[in-house]
Amino acid sequence: MANGWSVIIGLVVCALIAGAGYIFAPKGENQTVWRSSILLTVACTYIMWALTLLAQLNPLVAPSASNFRKEYIE
Amino acid sequence: MGVQDTLFRSSDMSLVQLYVATEIGREVVSALGELGNIQFRDLNSDTNAFQRTFTKEIRRLDNVERQLRFFATQMEKAGVTVRPIPRNENVTAAPSAHEIDDLADRCDQLEKRVSELNESHETLQKRWVELIEWRAVLREAGSVFEHAYGQVEEIRQTGEDDDTAPLLDNDVEQSVHQGGEQQSFSVMNIGFIAGAISRDRINAFERILWRTLRGNLYMNQSEMADKIADPQTGEEVDKNVFVIFAHGKEIVSKIRKISESLGADLYQVDEDANNRRDQILEVNQRIEDLNSVLQNTKLTLKAELRMIAAQLASWMVVVKKEKAVYEALNKFNYDQARKVLVAEGWCPKSGLPLVQHTLREVNARAGLQMPSIINELQTNKTPPTHFKTNRFTVAFQGIINAYGTAKYQEVNPGLQTLVTFPFLFAVMFGDLGHGFFLVLAAVLMILNEKHLDGRKIQEIFDMAYYGRYLMLMMGIFSLFTGLIYNDIFSKPLFIFPSMWEYSVPEDWKQGMKVTAHRIEGYTYPFGVDWKWHSAENNLLFTNSYKMKLSIILGWAHMTYSLCNVYINAKFFRKPIDIWGNFLPSMLFMQSIFGYLVITIIYKWSVNWQASGAQPPSILNMLINMFLSPGNITDRLYAGQEVVQTILIMIAAVCIPWLLLSKPLYLRWENKKHRALGYRGLGEHSRVSALDDEGRDSADGNGHTLGRGSADYDGTAVALVAEDIDGEEEEEEFDFGEEMIHQIIHTIEFCLNCISHTASYLRLWALSLAHAQLSQVMWNMTLANGFAKSGAVGVIMVVVTFYMWFNLTIGVLVIMEGTGAMLHSLRLAWVESMSKYFVGEGIPFEPFSFELLLEEE
Repeated sequence: MANGWSVIIGLVVCALIAGAGYIFAPKGENQTVWRSSILLTVACTYIMWALTLLAQLNPLVAPSASNFRKEYIE
Repeated sequence: MGVQDTLFRSSDMSLVQLYVATEIGREVVSALGELGNIQFRDLNSDTNAFQRTFTKEIRRLDNVERQLRFFATQMEKAGVTVRPIPRNENVTAAPSAHEIDDLADRCDQLEKRVSELNESHETLQKRWVELIEWRAVLREAGSVFEHAYGQVEEIRQTGEDDDTAPLLDNDVEQSVHQGGEQQSFSVMNIGFIAGAISRDRINAFERILWRTLRGNLYMNQSEMADKIADPQTGEEVDKNVFVIFAHGKEIVSKIRKISESLGADLYQVDEDANNRRDQILEVNQRIEDLNSVLQNTKLTLKAELRMIAAQLASWMVVVKKEKAVYEALNKFNYDQARKVLVAEGWCPKSGLPLVQHTLREVNARAGLQMPSIINELQTNKTPPTHFKTNRFTVAFQGIINAYGTAKYQEVNPGLQTLVTFPFLFAVMFGDLGHGFFLVLAAVLMILNEKHLDGRKIQEIFDMAYYGRYLMLMMGIFSLFTGLIYNDIFSKPLFIFPSMWEYSVPEDWKQGMKVTAHRIEGYTYPFGVDWKWHSAENNLLFTNSYKMKLSIILGWAHMTYSLCNVYINAKFFRKPIDIWGNFLPSMLFMQSIFGYLVITIIYKWSVNWQASGAQPPSILNMLINMFLSPGNITDRLYAGQEVVQTILIMIAAVCIPWLLLSKPLYLRWENKKHRALGYRGLGEHSRVSALDDEGRDSADGNGHTLGRGSADYDGTAVALVAEDIDGEEEEEEFDFGEEMIHQIIHTIEFCLNCISHTASYLRLWALSLAHAQLSQVMWNMTLANGFAKSGAVGVIMVVVTFYMWFNLTIGVLVIMEGTGAMLHSLRLAWVESMSKYFVGEGIPFEPFSFELLLEEE
């Protein structure tokens, strides 16, 4: 479902959202506030999401545990 | 006028000159005060407060204000509550001057009446206290006398018989001797004094008497049961009643003097028992009379005060506004010849039409022939910095203003703070549950805005209320980061199937360690895989992930901030700042930290297991890049040596570039200008269109009225010579100073690049700590509750939930939240704003009634 291409696709989607936000930001004296906030929010959330995905894309460590319950195993 | 104020830069300001007919000066200023967007400049700064035009009016208003405060204290004393101004009722300034006169007259009368009532109340009270004391003294003396007569007899007897007579059998004798007691005092030449004294003085009183009279007295005292109110101070005092007997007239008069000097009140007491009884009756009668009079006075006073209380608050507002109006008028110039007031002030350009409209309206109302005129002046003074904020942005702008006032029209950090501040907060506070609490609190406050606005409840709550939208943003971003970290109260959400699978070996025994294997070609699509939550090596992954995340976020934040240098340079038309400051700084930072970020991402995106190569350590790579450029121990990619060497060289070149280019360029430019015969602006008089104006101001009487009227004739833009205040001079170019400044800037920038990047590691540390703490909190409380079963389990769950919930709110949300907020604040102020923010602006302080009343 998700692989390395997701980061690129996500970027495109976010760029589209940001562009839409820029265009459809409410007019008036607060337009700058809307635009800046929308763009920055999209950028921040995208970076965070993409980095999290990238960090798990080619993991060097795998989770391990020893506290399984018997019921879980069977 | 198509000027629109945005939060990106401070509003465009213009220096305006107002010409207002003297008759409507008060009305105009009052209307502008309601409008609240002009900051008047003081045109009479060389005259002191007493010499100004409207000092008399201000004095009078001061007096009215004092009277109103007097009423307030009186009300407090009488226990009358002042009716507050209803919140939606807007108290306007007095519409006309004579209404203020009426108010002043009325206050005068009321003050007189209240003081009269107070005075008579005081005298009555004093008399009442005296009577009460007298009654107490009479009673006490009576019992003493009755007691004493018996003793007289006894004293006689003891004188005759010797000391063997029993001391306490006088009760028996009292009845026997009652008939013959009347003459006994005069016979024995014993005088007496009766009175009352406050209890804390009684000891000293007794001692003094004993010493001065060498013990030749007989003193009898008792405590009065009720406290007596001192009519002057209103304090309640304990008093003692005393009766002193002594031998001989002189001693008695001595006692009288001593007691008077110690503040005792002496009262007439008759020796005769019958007379005394009459006295008591009379005193009682008088006390009763006085009581009713006192009650009446008190009621009248209270009624009077109640009447005032209904209007006191609005009167106070009216007077304050009126005073502010005259104080503003005192800053104006008065043109005697034309009967015109001349004012100067700063006003946002976008607010000018509104000001003009207000002026026209006031003029129309007054029906004056002469119009009020507003002129825009050209000036090279630095205008004050004004940001138009709204409910949402005000708290964010407050954060910036707490650090410093932005230079006029430089890029305002407030705009980016709207998102970066709450986002960086959320990186440290990432938990869906805790974020939900924040959102909940913020939404509750926002929904109740109508009830809460402008009300002062409690300091901490008021602060939270002020930052409610900040809190909302922080909460919303925390929800997002909580989803990314996959944390809700330290528990994961199972939204997507995990990318890890445990395959348990056949011979699995309890306690055996099992490592998961990955489902090929699938990565957990949103946030951190929930399988990491139960893993024992959870920290191994989150540690590395959050550390790299914080470095990259820090780099992005700083790069974004650094770009503002470019925007500022472009806006202020200082190209040297672009290629002498911005470019080398940016190159330096990107060649080191930009490269670091790229390698981090590159390392993540390479499948090391498939290629079979050993993944190199990024940290070692960065260190080696400086220590031995061109030598690669663990290879990350082909051609790494070349790239790294080039980057090092770029960074190395950037340092002298940053250091020297700007000061050298400025020196060259200055020389060129001088060669052409220009002088610095500050060396001569200011911008002036007409020569004589320049001379005018050089004479020192900056704003002469003649000039004011010369500009008056209709030119849209008047040129004005500013007063020469030395401090606002443009400084002459000084190469040494410029150089030192740039050296400091260079060293600071290069070192800060490193230390600030490291500083972003706080994101990593705090988010790990927050996650760990909430996990510990869960394990210590609710986990124990769930571990039990049956009735005990039910009780345990209730108890541990109570503990868990309180700890979560108190420690994790409030305390940790405050901590994370402070860290985010620092990141905004230091790491981001130090890159571009100058902050040498002058705050805009408009003449506004709203602000004036808010200050209280």
